[in-house]
Amino acid sequence: MADRLLRRQVRLVEHLTSSAGIFGAVRGLSNDPELHGLDLALHLEARFSHEKRMQKIEWVLTQTLELLGHRREAMIRDFVEACPPTGISWLGNARQFHAFLKARWRHEPPVPAHLPDIAAYEIAYATVRAGERLGPAGVAEAPAGTIRCHPAAVLLCCAHDIRPLLEGRAGNDTPARRETLLAVTMLPGTDEPQVSELSRDLFEMLEMLDRFIDPSIFHDMPDAGMLIQNLAAGGLIEVHP
Amino acid sequence: MPSEACRLRPAIGIGYRRPLDEWTRVNLARFDVLEITLDHCLTGSEATRAAIFDLVGQISLTAHGIGLSIGTNAPLDLAYVDELAAILDRLKAPAYSEHLAFTRVPGRDLGNLLPLPRTRAVAEQVIAKVRTIQSRISVPFLLENITYIFDWQDSELSDAELLSLICAETGAGILLDVENLYLNATNHGFDPYAFLDGLPANTVKEVHVAGGVTLLDDLLPRRLFQDTHSHPVPEAALDLLDYAFKRHAPQAIVLERDDRLEAVDEILDDVARLRARYSPIEVPHGGPAVAAAG
Repeated sequence: MADRLLRRQVRLVEHLTSSAGIFGAVRGLSNDPELHGLDLALHLEARFSHEKRMQKIEWVLTQTLELLGHRREAMIRDFVEACPPTGISWLGNARQFHAFLKARWRHEPPVPAHLPDIAAYEIAYATVRAGERLGPAGVAEAPAGTIRCHPAAVLLCCAHDIRPLLEGRAGNDTPARRETLLAVTMLPGTDEPQVSELSRDLFEMLEMLDRFIDPSIFHDMPDAGMLIQNLAAGGLIEVHP
Repeated sequence: MPSEACRLRPAIGIGYRRPLDEWTRVNLARFDVLEITLDHCLTGSEATRAAIFDLVGQISLTAHGIGLSIGTNAPLDLAYVDELAAILDRLKAPAYSEHLAFTRVPGRDLGNLLPLPRTRAVAEQVIAKVRTIQSRISVPFLLENITYIFDWQDSELSDAELLSLICAETGAGILLDVENLYLNATNHGFDPYAFLDGLPANTVKEVHVAGGVTLLDDLLPRRLFQDTHSHPVPEAALDLLDYAFKRHAPQAIVLERDDRLEAVDEILDDVARLRARYSPIEVPHGGPAVAAAG
């Protein structure tokens, strides 16, 4: 009995999360005799659940979904088929959709070309906003005063200058193809992440700081102390207390 | 049956929602209790978690879960239950409620509440899980009635019989969602008062109220009421709550609102309606059922 119930539950959830269950014709969708006659109700249940999931994804990937334009519907149908929901988190579902898009872009060029930059930025923004720390845990033993790239900051290497789009001043212009290095950080005491453009030198330095190191290695850099202080104030560097 | 003389007034409040954090704090004196969604303490942003725990001591908090999926016929996620137990202690919550439903199976999570076949065998499985949960948490466990669109055809018990059986065997209480009861009765054509009559007296410990929408769809043979937590509480649902009060003395009534959050006046109006209806009862002995914290 126990296994039978789980099998029924699995069949039901598989049906409700399937492309056929959500988008298909209403009649005859469920092959389960125990769900016979419930096609309309199951179709509604599948649709409501799908809409709820897509709402979560849209909260995070708002511009990405907008930029998909007329391809959006087909893309979502393929996504549903390829990536059934595995959790209720809005960020988790958005990451699933982002991973799906990235896999698609490996064999199909993204349209528009700057879409991968926008999607990566939106995931980074949501990650920082959620307060997720990306660095390794268990660093209590690091000596006081050592520094590392702040684990709550995300570094982004974009192929296009998407800043005008993010700042709402792009109009109908397409972002220029130009390497743009961005950092998404959360300043202490604030609720919304901050986005800043970095020089290549600074970007590479922060990438290198993936663990706590002694800041004295920068002794030959002019005003290194001031720079570290400013980066820490900007949420880019964490100084071990 | 609780007599008028000994009945304590229920605490009245709302479900805490992060987008309304500032507004909630400004209006804190209007509420006796806030309901915290425990899963937001686990997976919410750092700022959300900080905001929730900052409320401890400012107002009574009660605890509600959405991620247990007690009805999935697979082992309970004990790590999840233990994490909840720690949060319950931190919130000083008087009870922990979850839905009598399932939301996921191994590998897939629908993120929506699904009904269980209402059979004695299913009840036995849920009973075992309730006992496990009760052994790992320090506060009473409550089960909530859900709203559902479809029903399993092999169900042999009524909604009230399934809930009553589980509660009788485990001592668990009931979180009565009167909106869910109202919607199910309307959508599936059963008598909601018979449901209330079927629950053992004094088992309803907390109440949810909310307002939904009517769905008109070309596919539908008739209109369908949907539990969207987006509109004022219908008067018919409050009539059900009036009736429930004859045999139960719930300690908290929580207004759930998840959509159209900008309509804060509607939220305050609903709270005022609840207060006018259930709160003015004089208490000859003792204070409110859920005393203000701090």
